[in-house]
Amino acid sequence: MMPYGLYIASVLAALALYMTAPRRGYSPARLGMLLGAMTLGGLWIALAKHLPDLAGQWTPLVYYYLFSVIAIGSAVRVITHRRPVLSALWFVLVVLATAGLFVVLSATFVAFAMVIIYAGAIVVTYVFVIMLASPAAPDAVGDDSPTYDRAAREPAAAIAVGFLMLAVLLTVAFEPLVANPRAAGPSDQRVLSRDLTQRPPELTPEGPPEVGKQAASVDNIERVGLDLFRGHPLGLELAGVILTVSLIGAVVLVRRPIAPEAAESPRDTDVRDE
Amino acid sequence: MNSSADSLILGHFLLTSSVLFVLGLVGFLMRRNLIIMFLCTELMFQGVVLALVAFARFHHNDTGQTFVIFVLTIAAAEAALALALVMLLYRRKPTLDTSAWSQMKG
Repeated sequence: MMPYGLYIASVLAALALYMTAPRRGYSPARLGMLLGAMTLGGLWIALAKHLPDLAGQWTPLVYYYLFSVIAIGSAVRVITHRRPVLSALWFVLVVLATAGLFVVLSATFVAFAMVIIYAGAIVVTYVFVIMLASPAAPDAVGDDSPTYDRAAREPAAAIAVGFLMLAVLLTVAFEPLVANPRAAGPSDQRVLSRDLTQRPPELTPEGPPEVGKQAASVDNIERVGLDLFRGHPLGLELAGVILTVSLIGAVVLVRRPIAPEAAESPRDTDVRDE
Repeated sequence: MNSSADSLILGHFLLTSSVLFVLGLVGFLMRRNLIIMFLCTELMFQGVVLALVAFARFHHNDTGQTFVIFVLTIAAAEAALALALVMLLYRRKPTLDTSAWSQMKG
């Protein structure tokens, strides 16, 4: 379905991102953002012509557009912003918009888990390290950020690689897909009612659930929990092991003493010369 | 349920997820700040996670959402280890520039 349109959109988006990339001297960042927004909007309008009549169910699609615009725009700011702390804060916005998309997809538990774990824990760790490891900037308002934040490394090559991949991904994404019946999980009606009726009685103080409880009436968190603990117990244990190992590994890495002769930097050599 | 309409809606979500993934990839290749490079891997995780949930919805299979929890676990472990490594490098040489460590090239 119209792969040429997808290719043209990929090329235009690559140009837009190239204009937005941080570099020395004049950078037409605003023009690039405008071009990118126009490309995305044009692609969506072209795709909307193929959408069938949704019979008044436009609300999810509207929320999809809204959250997608926020997510993509913030992602562009994450990779082009010159100040790392603000990059991390834009990333929080990406996480929140992605969580909104999850709610549109009726995956509420995962949405809240993303907000709590990503925005609440992981990004906070990043902000901590950025603040600990940023070179002293007495006046961070002006453009005195370090050179490695002001100029991108090989932006043309990176963007060419990335958007070649985007063109391929989009071509695949808009192939007409048919739901594979074997991929429809057994966690639907039958297995779900089996799981619900096989619960130990002490876990269901409200009495045994009615047999044949509709799968649609089961909460999203209940379905995910059943799938996680019934279907992937080994993965759950391994996830715990990985978390423990990374916790110990991080502590061991940070506590390692640094040999003083290894600390070579222009600043240190200057001190030594004096 | 109209299958082609479902497929097109799925395609829209895959569009967003692949754009997020590609932006993370470009950022990882393009930026020179170590911490921002790791932040870009998190951006790629966002794209992957969105594709997982969209496919889970399309196939009516909750395993996609379960997998997101594992991705979250790996992301947390990766963030802890990567940021510990960044702190270690920063204590040896007070810069976050990746090209400052180019002597590690083979």
